[in-house]
Amino acid sequence: MKEIANSPLMTILVIVGLLYIAGLSLAFLKKAYTRCLELGISKETLHNVIKSSAVFSIVPSLSIVVGFFALIAVFQSVVWPWWRLSVIGSLSYETQISGLLASSFGVSMDQMSATQFGAVLILMSVGMLSGFLILIPFGKKMCMSVTKDENASTWRYVLSGVFMLTLFAVYIPVILIGDTVQACVMLTGLVVAVVLGIIAKRPGFAWLNNFIMAFTMIIGMASSLLWVHLFG
Amino acid sequence: MSREKKKIMDPFQKWAHSWGRVGTVIALIYMITLPFVICIAFDCMPKFTDVINASTVGILLIYIPVGFSEAISYIPVMGSASYLGFITGNIMNLKFPCAVNGMKVAKVEQNTPEGDAIATVSIAVSSIVAVVILALAALFSSFIRPFFETEFMMTAKDYVIPALFGSMALGLFATNASGGKVVKGGIKGVIPVLILVSAIALFVRISGGGSALLGMVGIIIVIMLPIGIISSRIMWKKGMITVEDVKKN
Repeated sequence: MKEIANSPLMTILVIVGLLYIAGLSLAFLKKAYTRCLELGISKETLHNVIKSSAVFSIVPSLSIVVGFFALIAVFQSVVWPWWRLSVIGSLSYETQISGLLASSFGVSMDQMSATQFGAVLILMSVGMLSGFLILIPFGKKMCMSVTKDENASTWRYVLSGVFMLTLFAVYIPVILIGDTVQACVMLTGLVVAVVLGIIAKRPGFAWLNNFIMAFTMIIGMASSLLWVHLFG
Repeated sequence: MSREKKKIMDPFQKWAHSWGRVGTVIALIYMITLPFVICIAFDCMPKFTDVINASTVGILLIYIPVGFSEAISYIPVMGSASYLGFITGNIMNLKFPCAVNGMKVAKVEQNTPEGDAIATVSIAVSSIVAVVILALAALFSSFIRPFFETEFMMTAKDYVIPALFGSMALGLFATNASGGKVVKGGIKGVIPVLILVSAIALFVRISGGGSALLGMVGIIIVIMLPIGIISSRIMWKKGMITVEDVKKN
């Protein structure tokens, strides 16, 4: 298994795939950037969005790196976990499916035969694709059904907000009622966001507005240590 | 009808949907083909029953609805940026909040041409940052691994989503105007969802499985979305949710 997982062929295929994804991201970035300018959004605002998005992405990416190292331990390889967590993979799915297959074969991951490892690779690759069955055929129609413009009915304005509000209406009680530590982390984040929002209104601190969510998330996650210690 | 659709289709959105589909199909073919190429090259093609069996079907039955749920919940918010978001994954813990953050920084509203373009900028930047960070982690894995296995990192990584909702919750009370109109009382439409989910969360908490509930959110959203849409529609028809023109000073 190790020979396959660390093979030059696997490494080349993964690097080609990652270059494709980076290239696609750059193409979308360039096109969207140009369109933003055409729509009258200033370069300054766009640069603020880019800086804020980059800073915001660091912390969740680091948490993905933690999962990456967990998967390296399972696969005894850097390459395959690198690929899976850079594309649509999810740590929980990858860990569960590999563990389940290993137990159904009656071996541990590092004892798997080449064929058994092949089964793990295939299942990890195809198991998370159900969202695309909706996105590819219906994505455009779904987006157009909530797009707001001057000709849109007032219901479309309401419907457009319902998806986001439903997400909040599901997540907030699950977090607040479901688990004390999760609730404390969320409330810490909320308090920090309010405090940073107040500071950002002071002269000379307007720049902080672009990073409130990023800083709030860092402090919220860091506070989990305290809450786990108290309630965990 | 078709004339109206053409009229409201922003050129960028049109481009993003066309090339997003093409780019997604290519990525999908690549992702699916990759393990088969490896299996053929190393002569280790498994039997069908090694891949699909009683153990794996159970786990697939959990993750397949989660994939549908993500698509139904996030596509209407992320708009034409969804293609990039779905290919690069980690939607709820990275791409979706990043798009929301970008739209907040640029002060634009979702489901508008401006919102779609900004969400795409945010998700593209986020995807590139994530790919670069993972590439660096892969490259320097032996040096940095001890840091990522500390108690601090192992604990904090489990609380990304609660921390995110803490930071996004303020936006819930903001009144956003777009296209010269503003929705008043939109939050009332999801009160039935809030009550139902609170009751479920309370029941599960009392039963002793509270912390596991976060892993079931995908399925709960699929069930709750129709309730949120229907109750919002009823309240909109009864005038409890209104859409008003923005007053210009």
